[in-house]
Amino acid sequence: MVSSLRLPALTSLISPSFTRRSTVSLRRRLHLRPPLAAGFSAQSAASSPTETEDRVDSKKSGRVQDRGSTDRVITPRSQDFNAWYLDVIANAELADYGPVRGTMVIRPYGYAMWEAIQDYLNVKFKETGHSNMYFPQFIPYSFIEKEASHVEGFSPELALVTIGGGKELEEKLVVRPTSETIVNHMFTQWIHSYRDLPLMINQWANVTRWEMRTKPFVRTLEFLWQEGHTAHATLEEAEKEALQMIDVYTKFAYEQAAIPVIAGRKSKVETFAGADKTYTIEAMMGDRKALQAGTSHNLGQNFSRAFGTQFTDENGLRQHVWQTSWAISTRFVGGIIMTHGDDAGLMLPPRIAPIQVVIVPIWKKVDEKTGVLDAASSVAETLKNAGLKVKLDDTDQRTPGWKFNFWEMKGVPLRIEIGPRDVSSGSVVISRRDIPGKQGKVFGISMEPSILEAYVKDRLDEIQSSLLQRAISFRDSNIVDVSSYEELKEAISLGKWARGPWSASDADELRIKEETGATIRCFPFEQPQGTKACLMTGKPADEVAIFAKSY
Amino acid sequence: MAGGEKKKSGGGGKKKEVKKETGLGLSFTKDENFGEWYSEVVVNGEMIEYYDISGCYILRPWAMSIWENMQTFFDAEIKKMKVKNCYFPLFVSPGVLQKEKDHIEGFAPEVAWVTKSGESDLEVPIAIRPTSETVMYPYYSKWIRRHRDLPLKLNQWCNVDGFCTANLMLDCRSREFLWQEGHTAFATKEEADTEVLQILELYRHIYEEFLAIPVTKGRKSELEKFAGGLYTTSVGAFIPNTGRGIQGATSHCLGQNFAKMFESMVWQNSWAYSTRTIGVMVMVHGDNKGLVLPPKVSALQVIVIPVPYKDADTQGIFDACAATVVTLSDAGIRAEADLRENYSPGWKYSNWEMKGVPLRIEIGPRDLANNQVRAVRRDNGEKTDISRVFLVEQVKGMLDKIQQNLFDVAKQKRDACIEVVKTWDEFVKALGQKKLILAPWCDEEEVEKDVKARTRGEMGAAKSLCTPFEQPELPDGTKCFASGKPAKKWTYWGRSY
Repeated sequence: MVSSLRLPALTSLISPSFTRRSTVSLRRRLHLRPPLAAGFSAQSAASSPTETEDRVDSKKSGRVQDRGSTDRVITPRSQDFNAWYLDVIANAELADYGPVRGTMVIRPYGYAMWEAIQDYLNVKFKETGHSNMYFPQFIPYSFIEKEASHVEGFSPELALVTIGGGKELEEKLVVRPTSETIVNHMFTQWIHSYRDLPLMINQWANVTRWEMRTKPFVRTLEFLWQEGHTAHATLEEAEKEALQMIDVYTKFAYEQAAIPVIAGRKSKVETFAGADKTYTIEAMMGDRKALQAGTSHNLGQNFSRAFGTQFTDENGLRQHVWQTSWAISTRFVGGIIMTHGDDAGLMLPPRIAPIQVVIVPIWKKVDEKTGVLDAASSVAETLKNAGLKVKLDDTDQRTPGWKFNFWEMKGVPLRIEIGPRDVSSGSVVISRRDIPGKQGKVFGISMEPSILEAYVKDRLDEIQSSLLQRAISFRDSNIVDVSSYEELKEAISLGKWARGPWSASDADELRIKEETGATIRCFPFEQPQGTKACLMTGKPADEVAIFAKSY
Repeated sequence: MAGGEKKKSGGGGKKKEVKKETGLGLSFTKDENFGEWYSEVVVNGEMIEYYDISGCYILRPWAMSIWENMQTFFDAEIKKMKVKNCYFPLFVSPGVLQKEKDHIEGFAPEVAWVTKSGESDLEVPIAIRPTSETVMYPYYSKWIRRHRDLPLKLNQWCNVDGFCTANLMLDCRSREFLWQEGHTAFATKEEADTEVLQILELYRHIYEEFLAIPVTKGRKSELEKFAGGLYTTSVGAFIPNTGRGIQGATSHCLGQNFAKMFESMVWQNSWAYSTRTIGVMVMVHGDNKGLVLPPKVSALQVIVIPVPYKDADTQGIFDACAATVVTLSDAGIRAEADLRENYSPGWKYSNWEMKGVPLRIEIGPRDLANNQVRAVRRDNGEKTDISRVFLVEQVKGMLDKIQQNLFDVAKQKRDACIEVVKTWDEFVKALGQKKLILAPWCDEEEVEKDVKARTRGEMGAAKSLCTPFEQPELPDGTKCFASGKPAKKWTYWGRSY
C-alpha cells in the first residue's frame, strides 16, 4: 500500500513465514484492473506525453457523446467508477500522465489540494514537537541489504541506479522507497543518552516504488508523502506517539477532508512488516472499496535492534530505543476525489478546495458588461479580503452555461452569479455544488460586504459538514454487521464492508482473502459492548473486525 | 528543547578525525583554513550531516528551518504573482532527454540512470532529472493551445540529483539539493522581461533582507549564460576569505529557443534558487566560534540560559527563564530556554554560539534580584542588561540591529574587496589578491575565453561574474582591460565557485 512504510528486511526477520513476495502476489491478484487502468500501466517506458494524450482522447471519443454546452465529457460515476475517476483527473486538470510509465505530473489544481493537506499537517506536526529535516534520496544498496536478510522479497519494487557520472557505479544506489534504513543509520549517530530522547522528525519527500499496476494518485511509481520517524526511551512513549499521530490523521480526515475514516489497528497479517502494531485510517470510496489513507506504526525495538540504535539510560545502562513511523501521501488526494465526486465531476470540501467560490458574471448587451464586471470584481475583492479563495471567471470567450458546468466539474463548493438585474438590485445569486439544480440556488443575497461575507462563510461551513454527513450516511449504510462467514461472503459480494467478531487464525484470514478478495481493514478503535462469538469459529472474540475489498 | 547536545557529531566518516574531545571548539579557523573550517562548522553547528554516499548530505532541522523560513516568504510572493505550484516526475525517459541537444550535451555525464527494477533490467534505462526543462516543456506545448492559455506560470519545490553537478549546495560536489524552479510562458517578450526582473528582485530580497548578504544584480555574459537561453540575470555574492564570487540565484529569459523545439511560439522564463543559499550564508557570516545566523531566518532567535551560582535561588531563576520564553514567544519571537542540568552555563554558551543563535539571554541571581536579564549578541559579543519590564521591545530592537549589522559588516567586507582595474597588469595583480574585480570590457565572447585561458592555473581560471545593472560612468575612450578594444560596459570578474 502506498502509505504504509515497509521494510522487507524485517518482513523476513519478524515473520519468516509471510514473505514480501507473497504479499505482492496476493495484492496484485486482488487488484486486477479494468482495461482503462491497465492502459495507464501499459504505456511504454519511453512514451511521450503526446502518445499518452492520444490514448486518452481515442478512449473518450469512442465512448460518449458530447454534452451540449461543455466540450468536456465525463463517464457517469455509476456506469464505470474507474473510467469516471480517470476522466475527472484529466478534465479537472488534477494530473497528467508522466513521460515514464506509471508516473504522473501533478498539475496546479491537484497540487493545491496536496498543499492544503501539507499546510494543515505541517502545523500539527510542529505543534506536537516534530522538526522537519531532509534525508538524501539515494540509499546505498548495502544499507538495504544489510538489514534485509531476504532482500529478494521486496526487491522487485526497488529502483536501482547503476550508472552515474558517465560510468558504472561501484555500488548500486536505491532510489528511496521509504527512509527507515537511512533514518536509523543516522539515529545511531545522534542518539547517545536518554537526554537525546525523544527524537522526533518528519520529512516531506518523494519516494519511489516500481509498482506494476498504477493508478493516478492511488498508486504511482513516484509519489509525494511525509514520513515521520521518532525514537523514544520507553515502549509506552512510542505507543502514545503512534496513537497520537493516527489521531492527528483521523482529525484531519474528518475535519478538513470530510472523509469519515475508520481508525483502528491492523490485524497481524496486515501489520507493516517490522512493526509491533500498525494503526490505520480506512476510508470508504464511492465504489465502496476501502482506501488505506494513512498509517502509523509502533515499531517497537525491531528496527533499533537491527540497526543497533541504543542509548544510555538514567542508570547508565545501554538500551535499544523504541520507535514509530507514520505517513500520509498524495494517495489521499485520490481519496478525496473518490469520496465526494459525482457524475458532474469533482466535489471538494471547502477546507481543501483550491477555489472556494467562483464568481460568474452574466451579461448580454455590451452596455451591461461594465456594470456587471465592476460589481463582480468588487464582490471578489470583498470575499478575498475575508480570507476566502475566490476565482472571478470574467473571460468573454465562454458562455455562462459553459462556465457553470466547468466549475461544477472542478468541484468548486459555491458559485456566485451576477447579472444586470442583480446589479440594479444590489444582490447576487448563490448556488451550492453539493445540492444540484434549483434547490441549491438562492436568489437575492445582498452584495453588502458584511452580509455577503457572513452568508458565504456560513454556506461553506454548511457544505463542509454536509459533505461529511453525507459520507457518514453512505459509509454506515454500506457496513453490514455479520455473525457468520456466510453473511460475510454475502456482504462482500454485494460490494459492502462486513463487520463481525473475529478471533480466528491468520490462516483463516488468508482464506477469506483468497475466497472473497476482502481483507481485514482494521479492528476499529470503537468497539461494540457485550460478548461476541467469532464469525468464523464461533469461539469467544474480544473484538469486531472490518472486512472489505480495497485499493 | 531543540536538540543540540550532540557531543560527537560523527559524520559519515569524512570529518570524524578532526573532532576535539568536547566537540565544542572548532579545530580550524576561518582565515587560515577556510575549506576545513567550513566543513567543520556546518557539521558541528548541526546544519548537515555527511553521509555514506559522497556528495549527499542530510539536512538537519537547524538547516531545514532556515530553508522553510525562506520558502514561506518566496512561496507567498510568487503566489501573489499568480505563479502556481505543481510537481513533475523525477524520472525522465531518454527520448525526452534527447529532444534538447544542448541539454544532453550539457548534462549527460551528470545524469543518474535507473537501469534495474529489483533484479530485472529495465527495457529502456530511465534518467533521474538533472533539471526539469526537458520533462516540463513537452507538457507546456500540450497545455498551451490557444492564446488564452497564456501566461502559464508554474513552479515546483523539489529535489534534484546530478553527479558532479555545478549546482552545488555546500561544496562543489553536492549531488542532491533542494530548490524551487519556476518555469513560465508568455505571449510577449515584454511580459517575460518584466517577470525576469521581478523574480530577480525577490532573490535579492532573500539574500539581503533575510540572509543579510549583499548581492549584485546583473546580467551574465554570453559565455556564462544558461545554455540555450536568451539571457541570464543573477544575484551574485562574494566570499572575501577565498576571493571567489558565488552565483546566488538566477533568473533566465529563455526567449523562444525552447518554444521552437516544441512548436509553440511563446516566450519562456525559468528561475531557481537552491539550498546553496544556506551554504553562502554560512560562508559569509560564520566565525571561529561557529555559525552566525541572521535573526530573520534562524529557527531560534533567542536562547535563554539560567546561570545559577552556588546557593542561589535555582528554582526562581528557572522560573524566570521559563517566563522570559513565554513573554518572548507571545510577542512572536522564536525563543527557547536551555534548562538542561547536566551542562554548565559555559558549555551552553559555547554550544549555542556554535549553532549561531543571534541573541543569548542569561539570567543569574543578580539579574533575578534586579528584575533584569543580560542579553549577549552573537554577532559582536556586546552585552546589555535589560529590564524585564521592557523585555520585548528591547529584544526586538536588538534583533533588528543584529540583522542590520550582519548586513553592514558583510557589505563593508565585500566592498573592501572590490578593485577597479583598467589594464591587464592591474587585473592580474588584483586577481592574485583575491579581489572582486570591476573592469571595463568590450563584451566579446572571444575575449572572455582568452581571459580564461590566460588565467588558468591551480586556483582555477577567472571569468566574468556579471555585468551589474548599476553601471558606473564609462568615459568615452575607455578601453577593455583585456583586449584594448573600446569598452562597452563595466563588468565584475573573478574566480568563482
